[in-house]
Amino acid sequence: MAETSDIIQVVDRDGVALVRIRSNAILSEAEVEAFGAAIERLAEMPGQRVVVSFLGVHHLTSLVLGALIRVKKLLAESGGDLRLADIEPHVYEMFTITRLDRMFRIFERGDEAVASFLPPTET
Amino acid sequence: MPSRRRPSGDSQAWTEKTLPTHLGAIRPVVAELMVRLRDLGYDEDHRFAVRLATEEALVNAMKHGNRMDPSRQVRVRYGATPECVEIHVADDGAGFNPASVPDPTADENLRKPCGRGIMLMRSYMDEVSYSGSGQEVHMLKYRNP
Repeated sequence: MAETSDIIQVVDRDGVALVRIRSNAILSEAEVEAFGAAIERLAEMPGQRVVVSFLGVHHLTSLVLGALIRVKKLLAESGGDLRLADIEPHVYEMFTITRLDRMFRIFERGDEAVASFLPPTET
Repeated sequence: MPSRRRPSGDSQAWTEKTLPTHLGAIRPVVAELMVRLRDLGYDEDHRFAVRLATEEALVNAMKHGNRMDPSRQVRVRYGATPECVEIHVADDGAGFNPASVPDPTADENLRKPCGRGIMLMRSYMDEVSYSGSGQEVHMLKYRNP
């Protein structure tokens, strides 16, 4: 699995789709729609596990929060899940204000979020 | 305590624009406002807050006020002084009652994809009020609340 668009890049990490956002801000309707559509395509695979990394994203609007909620619902319906990572403090505050930090599992780094989907390794 | 200078009394401090109902029209206006705030020495926290609230107000005016009707317009008026920034956004829609907007953080609304814009505006700005029948929103952010 590897997909690249103007908005996102998707790479496979041990069966987990790691989505990186290619813009430092997602603001316009076209960008939000493209972002939502691109990650909704991932939900077409039953049980898909997805991590969206916000590395380098300095700004977004509530339209993006809505798109994330829609995708999380879609993924959950097929037994998958959406987790988030690499959210900078200003953007993270939007999640806490809206209480979405309770709805999404949010990790400091993308690799931690990917690992959270994988079975623990024996040491 | 001396009163803080608001742009209301200084016609030179105001910028007014009429926008088409098209979300792509938002970014240039907000970019101009950010330049104004940066020139006045506002820090990143203030700029993030004002940017977010202004974008949310403009998105609301176009999507919910004008219902994306391209024959309708949105008027934005903003002013800034070293002490505060004021933004007014008006649409051509039928208006709404802000008190009727459900709390998006309530458990029953948490999974709904809409309804967070007004809450974010209220969270990030010091004052948010509506006039008319809800077609115009006024927002104020102080540098030192």
